[in-house]
Amino acid sequence: MKRIAAYLTLIMLGIIGLAPFLYLALLSTKRRIEILSQVPPNLSFSWATISKTYTEVLYSQGMLDFTVNSFVVVGAATLLALIIGTPAAYAFSRMKVPGEQNLANTILSMRFMPPLAVAIPIFLMMKSIGLQDTYWGLILPYTAFSLPLIVWILIGFFDEIPREIDEAAVIDGCSHLTILRRIMLPLMLPGLVTAALFGAIFIWNEFLVALYVIDSRSYQTISLGAATLVSAQRPIDWNIAAAVGVVTVIPIFIFSLLVQRYIVRGLTAGAVK
Amino acid sequence: MSPAALPISRTLKHSRFDRQQIGVWLFLGPCLLYLAAFAIYPLIYSLSLSFTDLTAADSTGNWIGLTNYRDLLLDPLFWNAATNSAIMVVVSVAIEIVLGTALAMFFSLDLKGSWIVRGILVLPMLITPIVVGVMWRALLNPDWGLVNWAISRIGLTPPNWLGSIEMAMKTLIIVEVWQWTPFVFVIVFARLQALPQEVFEAAQLDSANSFATFRRITLPMLMPAIMFAAVFRAVDAFRSFDLIYGLSYGGPARSTTTLSFFSFQNGFQFQNYGYAAAVAYMMLIILIVGTTILFRYLHLRPGATR
Repeated sequence: MKRIAAYLTLIMLGIIGLAPFLYLALLSTKRRIEILSQVPPNLSFSWATISKTYTEVLYSQGMLDFTVNSFVVVGAATLLALIIGTPAAYAFSRMKVPGEQNLANTILSMRFMPPLAVAIPIFLMMKSIGLQDTYWGLILPYTAFSLPLIVWILIGFFDEIPREIDEAAVIDGCSHLTILRRIMLPLMLPGLVTAALFGAIFIWNEFLVALYVIDSRSYQTISLGAATLVSAQRPIDWNIAAAVGVVTVIPIFIFSLLVQRYIVRGLTAGAVK
Repeated sequence: MSPAALPISRTLKHSRFDRQQIGVWLFLGPCLLYLAAFAIYPLIYSLSLSFTDLTAADSTGNWIGLTNYRDLLLDPLFWNAATNSAIMVVVSVAIEIVLGTALAMFFSLDLKGSWIVRGILVLPMLITPIVVGVMWRALLNPDWGLVNWAISRIGLTPPNWLGSIEMAMKTLIIVEVWQWTPFVFVIVFARLQALPQEVFEAAQLDSANSFATFRRITLPMLMPAIMFAAVFRAVDAFRSFDLIYGLSYGGPARSTTTLSFFSFQNGFQFQNYGYAAAVAYMMLIILIVGTTILFRYLHLRPGATR
């Protein structure tokens, strides 16, 4: 009896978590008029309606281009943050850094920086160096947004590699650069992937800086595109809005499958003592 | 070691030390410089903006000292937003902590197939907050939304979720709780899994009832994880505005306008850059106090993952 109650609770939890997404997906398969008239929406699908809605969202509304833009911007920013962040994390883990704790805390605290406090200055900076409305206008600030998170996740992974390995290398006369490149990086692959994915999710959802920096449709990211298409300030076509939501959610579903194993470390970046 | 060798070895040591120092800065330098240029500098820039009356229309702006801050403290809209922020953060984090801890206890029963549900529960917190807002606007739609249909089906009258001033903040908190309870759950659950089993077995032998075991033994041991999750959630709930952007756009009648949304509106909608910067700086001061407490009480260490 107790077991049945427990399983029912489990199923309820699954429904509470998943139903909103399924409902959104279902709405995206209906015509505008059907959303208003079929309550609740039934499960008969019309392929013609689905393809019409998604063609409009992906092509006329530009969500496909926005997705490509997001991959370019988030990919470049994540790569840049990894290149800058890996040696820094290595230094925190393996070298004597003056004022180590304060410095590391300062870097982590930037993860909590409200985008609101920097969006306007970043916009003015990008405008003055002529990067307004370009990919670089987003890549440069986004790198700074994901860098603290990436450094912290990487420090955790570096600390897990036994020190004996690099101590042996130091005795053999290897420089830190060699140790990092030849010995640590191959061992760090899961760490690099985890840091990259969480850094990517962190900036994938950002749209405030994009709202300021990007003017033309050709450089809009997916979250900015979604924000302008479904903003709460005006009435919207619900079938279109739902399809926009589905298109935005799919890449994140894929990310989340990849990060399942490391979810705790990615979320806490540093973690619980 | 011969006496003559001593000074040489000392100089060698000295130069090695210097080289090591240079090495440290070569490794750390790019990261620190980058953050200085694209995080610290914008923050300072923002501070100086908050002392001007810069708007989007005029490109220079005049130095007006503390006027923005004075106006802010006299602005009833600022206090309205501050109150809304406080309510939203305190209430939603409190609910998330209770539910998240309960979920962690529930999942420690280790039912068959529970890993699937755990995977599902991770999804909401990764989703773009605007999309979460829009999704719930659809679910709660007064005319055709699924939730209202279900409530009417069982014979109750659904509330006016997003249309009434009394209800909108509650609705915002419900959605916030839906999206972020899993965060608390994941962290508390990880801690729970890491606890030594012997303690619970001993309690069982002493025939302590399960609630007493939870209160006296489990909860105190979970406290560090719970505190950690609470502070992270509070900071993130405080600084985010995109869920509100998607869900209610601060309305109706500013009942869901928090400080972050208030700053966003001043900056983007009214293009009042100086004033928006002042609001953002007030938030930053609150945040700095918050994160200082975080570091004081939580003893974060780089790489203290285990």
